[in-house]
Amino acid sequence: MIAAHGICKAFDGVQAVDDLSFEVASGEVYGLLGPNGAGKTTTLRVLATLLTPDRGSATVAGHDVVREGEAVRRSIGVVNGGMGLYDRLTGREVLHYFGRLYGMQPAAIDARIAQLDELLELGDTLGRRAGGYSSGMKQKIVVARAVLHDPPVIFFDEATSGLDVVARRAVLDFVRSYPSEGRAVVYSTHVMSEVEELCDRACIIYRGRKIAEGSIAELIAEGHGDDLEDAFFRLVGGDRGARDEIAGVEA
Amino acid sequence: MRPSLIGRVAAKEILSTLRDQRAIISNLVIPLVMLPVVMLGLPLLLGGLFQREQTTVTQVGVEGLANVPPALAQLLQAQNVQLESVTAPEAAVRDGKVPVAMVVPAGFAAAVAAGRGADLTLYSKTGNMKSELNAGKVRQAVSDYSRQVVAQRLQAAGLDPSVLQPVRVTSVDASSAAERSSGQLSWLIPFFIAIWTLTGGQMTAIDATAGEKERGTLESLLVTPVRRTEVVVGKFLATLTFGLSAALMAIVGYVVGGAILGSVFAPRLAGQASEMLQVMGGSLDISLPSVLLLFVSALLLAATIAALLLGITLFARSFKEAQSYVAPLSFLLILPAVGLQFKDLLGFGEGVYLVPVFNVLVLMDDIVKGSVAAGHVVATWLTLLVAIVLLLLFALRNFRREGVIFRV
Repeated sequence: MIAAHGICKAFDGVQAVDDLSFEVASGEVYGLLGPNGAGKTTTLRVLATLLTPDRGSATVAGHDVVREGEAVRRSIGVVNGGMGLYDRLTGREVLHYFGRLYGMQPAAIDARIAQLDELLELGDTLGRRAGGYSSGMKQKIVVARAVLHDPPVIFFDEATSGLDVVARRAVLDFVRSYPSEGRAVVYSTHVMSEVEELCDRACIIYRGRKIAEGSIAELIAEGHGDDLEDAFFRLVGGDRGARDEIAGVEA
Repeated sequence: MRPSLIGRVAAKEILSTLRDQRAIISNLVIPLVMLPVVMLGLPLLLGGLFQREQTTVTQVGVEGLANVPPALAQLLQAQNVQLESVTAPEAAVRDGKVPVAMVVPAGFAAAVAAGRGADLTLYSKTGNMKSELNAGKVRQAVSDYSRQVVAQRLQAAGLDPSVLQPVRVTSVDASSAAERSSGQLSWLIPFFIAIWTLTGGQMTAIDATAGEKERGTLESLLVTPVRRTEVVVGKFLATLTFGLSAALMAIVGYVVGGAILGSVFAPRLAGQASEMLQVMGGSLDISLPSVLLLFVSALLLAATIAALLLGITLFARSFKEAQSYVAPLSFLLILPAVGLQFKDLLGFGEGVYLVPVFNVLVLMDDIVKGSVAAGHVVATWLTLLVAIVLLLLFALRNFRREGVIFRV
């Protein structure tokens, strides 16, 4: 479903992503694990056609991210922790706006909203203006918006940051239920437990580079750790900086 | 470009702005209501106060009341001045006992009767409007008295009063009917369109650019299949809609408000105040083709400003930062628009019609005055079209720049 080959991206001389390659198969939840600033968001933005890679190439759902940007965007949904909504539009209006941008007809959008309402328990958020939402309500509509057009690929980027325990659980359950034949999820986070719970395979990224890749069991084995967190720190070389970066994010 | 997607983007921005109370107040209420109140109501109020002061009977202190010649006393009375005796005129004015006072020395009437010069001292507070207005009444009466005396002296010497004015000038206004009736409107209309397009359009422009960044909605928009050109054009159309609506509201408010205020106040006001209403309140006399020329010019001006707004506001990280970018733009527009008042003095050449924004301000002034040339219309419109395309390309370039889109 996704193939990234040697992606490089630098900003003002700082190498954000350095020669990153990975592949995600159909039916898979693939984790990108690393501290803030590791290059996870930049990688996802390259795959979502928002950034052009300096070097390397990538395909999403069979489309090249540089040459076939529009086809890629038609095939993806993106959820990140900092995404917002239009305060003066209701949840239903937001979904209709985006549905029309994906070329969906109003009746099809309403039918899809009914499905998502059941799945995500959108309830009265649909009729209320987004300006009055709690962070949990907001994130439900953000998720609904990302999957409205039933895309084969979804990118989640720190999608649970700032959410309370109930809203976080709703997002995690949704991620777990989404992949099927012909669908894949890339889940980017710094939270080890989420990777352990959700991901079939994961890639540890640190300072823009891939440190290790495999199933959770393989990563723990490769890092000779007791659990994923222990293995993570061993794999990044016991780097004190990484420990501080993770600790800082957790705090 | 797909018109349906451009329409979706524009419609969403328009709906979002329509639900913003602040935007509605600044787009519709302020230009429609506040403008006539501030620009017409305030001068009218002041005019009314001046007039009241003119008609009210004022006490004027006089030291040497007995020395005032009867003819002067009569003229002062005609100016609604009542004389009252005071002993220390300067102190009386300073302490506010009387607004104005004067000293008429002994022998004043005798000196005038003997054909000599006579002195009179007038006390008023120069910084005090009430005092100055009443001093004006006294000066007027004294000046009328002087003319009377001069006429009597000339008559006594067997001379005709015309001996003092050997040359008489007759002034004829050679301007066209359109020029005469345009009054202040010839530069106020372009001025309003420029300023209110900026004011009315900026809410939508900022909300659609820096606002999207601040809320974190821009990224979700850009990962949909909509193209950036479609995003830019859609947002541009929404900005233009609100910019133009604010400008139209300002003009409607000014013209209609002026007419209403005029019909209410003009009968009660005389002289200067009603004249001012005539000049300010829209005695505009222009033909239908001129209205069409004005509309197209206004549309192009509004489009230029909307495109400029969009390109600039996208740089900002937040709503606030974007507002600080827009503020200097008002000065850039106000200066040439005000300069338009002195168009005749400054003497612009033909080249002025090739300077975007300024050219359309001059052109609209020409249209209102009925002195527009076809070549100037073509030059102005073409220049503006080129400017709009370039500014939209600038906005599009910004929407494509990673450093601008992700500058948060």
